[in-house]
Amino acid sequence: MTPPVSTPVLSEPIDPAALPRFDRADGPDKVTGSGRYTADLTLTGMLHAAFVYAEHSHARLLSVDTSVARSMPGVMSVLTADDVPDVRYTHGTADRRLFAKDAVRYDGDVVAAVAATTLEKARAAADAVVVEYEPLPTVTDLEAALADGSPLVHPEWQSYDAADGVERSGNVASFSSIAKGDAHAAMADAEHVVSGRYVADASHATPIEPRGVVAQWEGGKVTIWSSTQVPFAARAGVCQTLELPTNKVRVIVPHLGGGFGGKCGFHYEAHVAALAQAAGRPVRLVFTRREEFLAPDRRREGMIVDLTTGLRSDGTIVARTAKVLLDGGAYMADGEFFPQMAAMHVAGPYKMDHCHIEASLVYTNRQPSGSVRAPTAPQGCWAVETHTDELAAALDMDPVAFRKLNAVDEGDEGCVGQIYNKIGLQDCIDAAVAAVTPEGDLGEHESIGVAIGWWPSFPGASGAIVRLDDDGQGQIVTGAQENGTGSVMTLRQLAADELGLAPQDFQIVYQDTAAAPFDGGSSGSQTLINNGRAVVAAAGRVADQLKELAAAELEASVDDIVLADGAAHVAGTPTKSVTIAELAAAAGGGALLVASGSEDPPEYPELDTEGGRIACIGDQGVAGWAGPQFSCHAVHVRVDPDTGVVRVLNIGAAHDSGTIINPLAALGQIEGGIMMGIGQALTEITHYDEAGNQLNAGLLEYKLQTAADTPNVKVVFIEPGADGVGPRGAKGLAEAPNVATAAAINNAITKVIGTPVRSLPMTAERVWAASMGVDEGSQP
Amino acid sequence: MTIDMNNASAVTLRVNGTDYPMLLETERNLLGAIRDEVGLTGTKEGCDDCECGACMVLVDGQPVNSCSYLAVQAQGREITTIEGLADGQQLSELQAAILEAGGVQCGFCTPGMLMSATALLDRNPSPTREEIKVGLGGNLCRCTGYGRILDAVERAVTIR
Repeated sequence: MTPPVSTPVLSEPIDPAALPRFDRADGPDKVTGSGRYTADLTLTGMLHAAFVYAEHSHARLLSVDTSVARSMPGVMSVLTADDVPDVRYTHGTADRRLFAKDAVRYDGDVVAAVAATTLEKARAAADAVVVEYEPLPTVTDLEAALADGSPLVHPEWQSYDAADGVERSGNVASFSSIAKGDAHAAMADAEHVVSGRYVADASHATPIEPRGVVAQWEGGKVTIWSSTQVPFAARAGVCQTLELPTNKVRVIVPHLGGGFGGKCGFHYEAHVAALAQAAGRPVRLVFTRREEFLAPDRRREGMIVDLTTGLRSDGTIVARTAKVLLDGGAYMADGEFFPQMAAMHVAGPYKMDHCHIEASLVYTNRQPSGSVRAPTAPQGCWAVETHTDELAAALDMDPVAFRKLNAVDEGDEGCVGQIYNKIGLQDCIDAAVAAVTPEGDLGEHESIGVAIGWWPSFPGASGAIVRLDDDGQGQIVTGAQENGTGSVMTLRQLAADELGLAPQDFQIVYQDTAAAPFDGGSSGSQTLINNGRAVVAAAGRVADQLKELAAAELEASVDDIVLADGAAHVAGTPTKSVTIAELAAAAGGGALLVASGSEDPPEYPELDTEGGRIACIGDQGVAGWAGPQFSCHAVHVRVDPDTGVVRVLNIGAAHDSGTIINPLAALGQIEGGIMMGIGQALTEITHYDEAGNQLNAGLLEYKLQTAADTPNVKVVFIEPGADGVGPRGAKGLAEAPNVATAAAINNAITKVIGTPVRSLPMTAERVWAASMGVDEGSQP
Repeated sequence: MTIDMNNASAVTLRVNGTDYPMLLETERNLLGAIRDEVGLTGTKEGCDDCECGACMVLVDGQPVNSCSYLAVQAQGREITTIEGLADGQQLSELQAAILEAGGVQCGFCTPGMLMSATALLDRNPSPTREEIKVGLGGNLCRCTGYGRILDAVERAVTIR
């Protein structure tokens, strides 16, 4: 794929009112209440499911007695580990079963499941399951977990199947390192050395829709409606754990009420399918908000980052060393690549010849961590960018000038030896700062902080089918998953442009594993770059069919046919044309207008690890970044010195996410990512007891930002016109805005109170304590 | 939903101008009655705790979290849900404006958000942006960061 090359333009902040309207195909469903989400589905004879969760965060499971539960009126099926195939799953390391078998390892481990005629009866029966435990010592301290003699979360870890490249040992679920040059020798020669420790607590994806699953068997085939972001991965999990071939399992996603990574992976589809099979009736599971907090293996990981950076007096970075511990929780989920990703983030988008970073994902007896919007990035960025302001301060340098000096630009080599093409990071810094700088003076206790971030794009396999029916109206049949971002909705625009039609001429059949080819789902910001490629290819093939029909009809050369405005025209002869509807009607009696697209994804850049200069770049496949995205957030805050309450007033956000195909939808991603970033920065904290049990599993105690907290946000898109991996030079987008906000907020707070806050989130108590010279500490 | 007849009362709920007679346990919440008995699923459950606002409906024009409002209390009152905002196929100004402004993403908060915004404009036809922020302060949205939704309410005000 050749991205279009254009001259970079330092754009002005977007004026939302001036953007072209984005006509969402799912818009009318969503504003009238007619759109159906999973919990809205009811099938005849449908039962309701309830789970029995572990009563200890770590215990041997001695016995599970379901006899009373099974005998209760209305109870139609009760399942434990004995009732399903004995299969361990998760692709990184197969460390988990559907139902806990010999041991429970966190407070959301599922021990048993019940299906009954009403939800109340299901819950009563779940309460009647008697489980005998023998409590075991718990692992909750990341550093103690690595010590010799620590209890192990998985004593039998060596017997588990693991993917290639997952480096494991005891409570270390996955280890990665970056080793370039000789960091220790270079550090010894540095003119200034700055060290710091930064500790982040765990947080949550918190989609407003709690998850739901409905399953129904017909013969030997099961249809599962699930609020998943990744229907094909969910299908794979069902197939693996219930030992079924892919074509016996159909996963359909009704409208999805947000995910943010929290609904990635395979969750409870197999539990519900197994209940439905055992009961011979359809079954529906809908989580309470408390379950949504406690159970899924998708929590944003807590993190401890120890960073040391050596500097020359001219302000350049000589060397960086870092040690990162990530709280992986009780099971691997999809966390195997987290150490390498965290290492990339604490290295940051900076030029450096010497670095040595070690990162470990650590098993604990807490809820498993898994991909939440830009996993490891907001915490890693918060650590390294807080550190970066400390570096600038050590040299008495302006922190923006320090970043401009050290940040990578075209032709520069980053921490793992990747040499970047034309990228927009330097322009992002200028644009974000300009967008937030006031004309006059800042108010009392106010300041502006700046941080930069980065995030990859993820090329991958994806497919789609495009067809025009005999009235010239189109269908896009795609495996892609719409979680709200509008990326699937934007596929209409791509198909329409290929075929000379309007987006409104297309309907989209999506998120159904039986109808459409594979797609990776709404994960990794990958939909538009990968499924967009597939749709453009498929629509291009239909366009070729149309051009051949038109050429015959108009007695012209195929090469002269242009599709535009709903018709096929002969180039240079505007009077000769035929409508696409007419061509489609003719095709309806012969070779139909239908084509599929997939195409090989763009390749990841090869990194040169020969010769020993770069000894290690990690081994989990996310070192060389295809379509790297860059961002800068500049945040204007006010700090109440008496209470520590931080108010975010204005944000300038500049992003290089390649070519922006749908500006209004893109703006929505930036604004939404920033607001999530503010929550993670200031209020979103997860509390645990000493044994690892979650203490604040509710929206009253876990505080999201509200409309009343909304700052003024100015967004600038920098489109450098190279290095994109999707249609028209697009890169990924939706995770990148959830990287730099918390870091920029800390750098603003620091200027007001005179010291950085070393714990994330930077709650009012912690800000106030930091201003008083006390480190309140964190939990990971 | 099976009704516990020992604890049920005959209730008529008037929803979007239509009367729905039903038997309800006294402890049933209005949200459950609307979704399971009336059969209108546009009103969403996000927390069952009055924290997210996804279940917001209007009772005699006042926005209430229907998860924490007893269904029997709503008898004799005028209940309006998201399904009652449009006039046939004609979207309300707020429904149209939230689409035009890009204020809809996953859509799960949208019904509750539109009910709160409707109540706000009914009592204050030309709110300032700060008043809109406060008026929507009981409705959580995780997708949009609120900016496009606030713009939508301002847009609806100017259309009126």
